[in-house]
Parts: sequence; C-alpha cells; structure tokens
Amino acid sequence: MNAEAARVAGAAPSGAVAPAGAAADAAGREPLLELKDVTTHYGPIRVLHHVDMVIYPGEMVCLLGGNASGKSTTLKTILGIVRVSEGEIRFRGERVDPLTTSDRIERGMAVVPENRRIFPKMTVRENLEMGAYLRKDRKEMDEDLEYVFSLFPRLGERLSQLGGTMSGGEQQMLAMGRALMSRPKLILMDEPSMGLAPLFVERIFEIIKQVNDRGISVFVVEQNANVALSIADRGYVLQTGEVVLSGAAQELLTNEGMKRAYLGET
Amino acid sequence: MSAISSAVKRKVNWVPPAVGLALLGLIVWRMVYLHGLNPNFNASFFAGAFLRSFQLGSLYALIALGYTMVYGIIRLINFAHGEVFMVGAFAAYFLFSTTPMAWPVAIVVALVVTYGFMQILNFWRGRLTDPLVLVGGALAFVAVSVALASTTLGWLAAMVASMFITGVLGVTIDRVAYRPLRGAPRNSMLITAIAVSFFLQNFGILAFSNRQTPFRPPSFWTQPLQVQVAGETLFTSWMIVLVPLVTAVLVVSLTLFVTRTRLGKAMRATAQDAETARMMGVNVDRVIATTFLLGSMLAAAAAVMWGMTFGSINQPAIFGILPGIKAFAAAVIGGIGSLPGAVVGGVLLGFLENFLTALFPRTAEFPGITEYKDTFAFLAMILILLVRPSGIVGEDLSEKV
Ligand SMILES: Nc1ncnc2c1ncn2[C@@H]1O[C@H](COP(=O)(O)OP(=O)(O)OP(=O)(O)O)[C@@H](O)[C@H]1O
Ligand SMILES: [Mg+2]
Repeated sequence: MNAEAARVAGAAPSGAVAPAGAAADAAGREPLLELKDVTTHYGPIRVLHHVDMVIYPGEMVCLLGGNASGKSTTLKTILGIVRVSEGEIRFRGERVDPLTTSDRIERGMAVVPENRRIFPKMTVRENLEMGAYLRKDRKEMDEDLEYVFSLFPRLGERLSQLGGTMSGGEQQMLAMGRALMSRPKLILMDEPSMGLAPLFVERIFEIIKQVNDRGISVFVVEQNANVALSIADRGYVLQTGEVVLSGAAQELLTNEGMKRAYLGET
Repeated sequence: MSAISSAVKRKVNWVPPAVGLALLGLIVWRMVYLHGLNPNFNASFFAGAFLRSFQLGSLYALIALGYTMVYGIIRLINFAHGEVFMVGAFAAYFLFSTTPMAWPVAIVVALVVTYGFMQILNFWRGRLTDPLVLVGGALAFVAVSVALASTTLGWLAAMVASMFITGVLGVTIDRVAYRPLRGAPRNSMLITAIAVSFFLQNFGILAFSNRQTPFRPPSFWTQPLQVQVAGETLFTSWMIVLVPLVTAVLVVSLTLFVTRTRLGKAMRATAQDAETARMMGVNVDRVIATTFLLGSMLAAAAAVMWGMTFGSINQPAIFGILPGIKAFAAAVIGGIGSLPGAVVGGVLLGFLENFLTALFPRTAEFPGITEYKDTFAFLAMILILLVRPSGIVGEDLSEKV
C-alpha cells in the first residue's frame, strides 16, 4: 500500500542530519511539500532561520521543539498566514510561497490549528462546512462527511450543537473533522494533544494514524515527543528557529541529544 | 442525576418577565392618567406614537445593521456610515428628479455603477470584464429606472438604484480608505473613518445641494392615511406601513444570507475568528467588501424611506450626522457586533423617541420632553454601557478576545 511504502521509504534517510535541499528520495519520489532555505520574520524579529524541510506523499512527519522555537510559525508559513522573507516553498512541485492562503488550501493543504480554533458560535455542522469552504463537489463532500462521522461518531450526534459549547476533546475532534472536510493531500496539525487527558491523546494519535494510512500526509507539531515519534515516519527538531536535528523517527527516539532534551530521559 | 437535571430545568429567571409586566402596568396607568388630564391624549394619539416608534425604529435598525456588521468583522466604528446614508438619499433624489435634460448624466452614472458592480462581482467570481456586459448592464439599469420612474413605483426604482450606487460607494470606501490600513493600529482606521466622513460631507455640499431638499418620489405610499382607532381618527401616511414592511423584508433577507449562504457563513466565521477563517480558505478581504456592500445598501434603503417619511432631506453636511450617531448608539444598546442586537436597539430607540415622549407630553403644568428626545439615544447608550456593556442581546465580549 501507498502509505506502507511511504513509511519504509521515510525510514531510509541516512544520518540524523537533514539532507539539505532534498529533492527526490531514495525511492525516487517527488516531495509533496518542500521548504527550501526558508526564513521568516515578525516585523524586525527573525523567527525561522534558513529552514529546510521535506515531506513525501503519504508520510507522517513530526515537528518537535521547545516553546517559542518557531513550530507554529513554520505551519503558518507553509499556509501563507506568515510570508517568507527568504527561500521558497513548493507544494506538489509548484512554488506556492507567492500564493494566497486560500490558493494553497485549494491545492490540498488543511490545518488543525493550535488551540483548535473552532468557530464558537457556529454549529458543528457549520464548522464542518467551513472546512469544505472552497469545495463545490457536493456529492464527494457528503462522502467525506460520512468518513468524518465514521472517525468521530460523536460529531454526527451533535450536529446542531454550538462549537463553543463542546468540550476540549470534542473540539479537537471537530477541528480534525473540519480539516478532513477539504479532502486534503496534506494536513498540518499544531499540537493536537494539547490539554487532553493521556488516554484521549492515544485515541487522537490512533485516529491520526488511521487518516495517514488512507494516504493523507500528516505534518504534526507535538510537545509530546514520545507519542508522536512512536507513530511518525520521520521528525525534525527546531531550536530558536533552526533545524538542529532530523531523521527517521526510530533514530530520533534513540538519539542521545534527543533523549536528554525532549524525551525526559537522562 | 435526573433529580439534578430537573432541578436545573425548574430554575427559571423570573426577573425579566416581572420587570416587563411592571413596566407595561406603569405605561397603561400613565396613559389612563393622561387621558383623564386631557381627552386629546386618546387612543389614536398613543396608537400613532406606537406606530411611529416602529417606523422610526425600523430606519434606525437598518442603519445600525451597517455599523454592527462592520464592527463585527473588522472592529471598526465606521464613522463614515452616516455619510453613506446621506449619499443614499441624494443618489435616489437625483434619480427620481432627473429631468430629460439630465439623462446623459444618468447614463454616465449607470455606467459607473455597473462598472463598480462588475468589479465587485469579479472579486467574488472572476471574469466578468466583458464590455458588452458593462453596456448591457448600464442600459438595463437605465431602462428599468426609466420604466419604473414614470409609474407610481418611482420610489422603488430610486431606492433599488440608490442601494446599488451606495453599495458601490461603501465597497470603494473600504478599498481606498480602510483596506490599506489592515493590520495598522485600530486608531488609524478610526481617524481615517472620520476623514472619509468629512470628505463626503463636503463633497455632498459641492455636488448635491447646500440646503434642505424636498424629497417626494412618485409613490402611492406617501399618500395620507386615516385610521379609526377606538372611535378617534388617526391621521398618518401609508409610510407607517411601508417602512416596517420593507425593513422586515430586508432583515429577513439578510438573516437568510448570513445563515444559509456560503458567503454569509464565511462572514460569520470571519467575525468570530478571522485568522482561522483564512486558514479555511476564506478570502477575508472579499468578506469585508461584502460587509460594506450590504451595510451600505441597507443604509441607502433607510435613507430613501427616511426622505419619504419626512418629505425632505437636510443638507449633505448634516443630514447623515444625527441619524448616523443615533443608529450607532442603537447598535451599542442592542450589543454591537450582533445583528439581532442592531434591530432590537434600533426599534427600542424608535420607542424611546416617540412613545416615551408621548407618555410625557406637554401639559398645563409640565413642559414635555419632546425637545430633549435627541439626547435619549445617548442617555440610553450610557445607561446600557454602565449596567450591561455587552448590550441587550450581545454576548459577553470578554469571552471573545
Ligand atoms: N504574531 C506574532 N508577532 C510577533 N511575534 C510572534 C508572533 N507569533 C509568534 N511570535 C514569536 O515567534 C516565536 C516563535 O513562536 P511560535 O508560536 O512559532 O512558537 P512555537 O514553537 O509554536 O511555541 P509553542 O510550543 O509555545 O507553541 C516566539 O518567540 C513568538 O513570541
Ligand atoms: Mg505553537
């Protein structure tokens, strides 16, 4: 299967150092998303510093790093909420950094934002519809709605509840369902486990894996390095806006520097 | 478990209905008392005040909707909205009072408006730049206006045409004055709004008129109307029926737009969380333009009915000011950012200005409060800000940011 192949291929890169400006991987596949030498600023403050990243079709890649290291900014840059000041972003071979956010969404990106950002005064149904905002294919949208309900039956039961009145866990499901409603090629997730009970974190990651097994690529920001790396193919580690480590998830899990810094072992 | 839930269910808040009943009792008592004082304060006197409250309140509501929508989306108090209202009235005035001599002018206006509208439509859908569409649209615009202008529906033609013209103006203001300032401190936009407002006032004096202007489009609705109320005759005009009717149609249409259409939902999403709306693919600039378009169209409808109600419109430098800031106060009273709030606030203000003054009329020993009615909007606004800053229907704003 596609996703399985991706996992094998994803584990292939040699060292724990990022292959700079990666193009086709070992299996000869073109990248789905590629950040080349990306630098971004908030006003005069530089947040990302010459970042190179690549995600292949079907992969699940996680982005780790301490607070304020620039993880959310990386996602916002990919989406075009923050513009690059240097470097370029390619999505499915096409340069997207000059494009608007809505053009990038239209090309197959979707996001589960930090803190979920559900529209509080819209119903569950309307929130899901907002996820499909740029789509016009009604029939396929209904199929995707069914798919979302199969992943999160709770959403189907609460279609007319206001988003703002749902619990944190339910809002997380809704945010994920909303992202899936655009039938994306790549989902960007910013800390999907934030504020959730440990048991629920496992549930959420199981579902993320199910989604990924469907062939949808996932780029997930996570504080919870252990859980994330245990299901991801590869990972990047950011520190003050620079990629300091990258490689196959298994290697990162056993990497000495990683263990000390992020995995809570000594 | 079930005991708890039923206990919760039984907890009804009796305060609002109790206060309402007490108020109603007081009002009835006051009317009976006044009638005893002077038989002129009869049923038709109060019925007239009641109906006029709705009439004026509807107009405030329509203007207030423009303030509240723009505030809800970009947190801007659009001080130029009163002047947009003013332009709405004068645009209609020139449309229905155009003599055959001025038809070339009308055609130029139609071309400009159609072009503006095409630009706006382009913004939403893409590719509508065909010059044939432009000429066709403009000719249709003129033809419909001419056809309707010669009938008793002249007011409707003028109103609809003015809504289009004013809608284009609103979008243009946003594009030229506010959009370059997105992301700038909020005060910059506020100051710009005041500048736009001054600009339009002076432009109006130069281009439209510098004095009170009669406003009498051909219409059945401005004819006098006499109603028998409890044996007394109430003298009024059909406008007392038309204004609430048109307002209801517009408010219902707006509600359907906002709750049922894709763009309407994008508008609500943007008001709730603009950045996330963008992340869903919403073109926020388009949504903001739509907001200005709709708000300005509603203001134009209000302006035309305002002119028809009073038979004249004030000179451009002042016409928009008082209705504008009063409607703004109404939006705050209802809860700024909330559409039902604007309607409730507007109607309430209509009642304060008409029905309250009718309850305290000039009598032998009391001078009456009519002369002070222009201050009620602001007194009520201050009162609301003290006891319930989020407004009557507005939700708690602290939850938002
Ligand atoms: N809109 C903004 N304006 C100015 N600075 C910002 C803005 N957003 C983020 N920053 C700064 O950029 C840096 C990186 O922020 P970012 O949100 O990307 O961090 P993060 O890695 O996601 O952190 P966390 O784990 O706490 O979510 C921080 O120092 C932050 O203060
Ligand atoms: Mg973050």
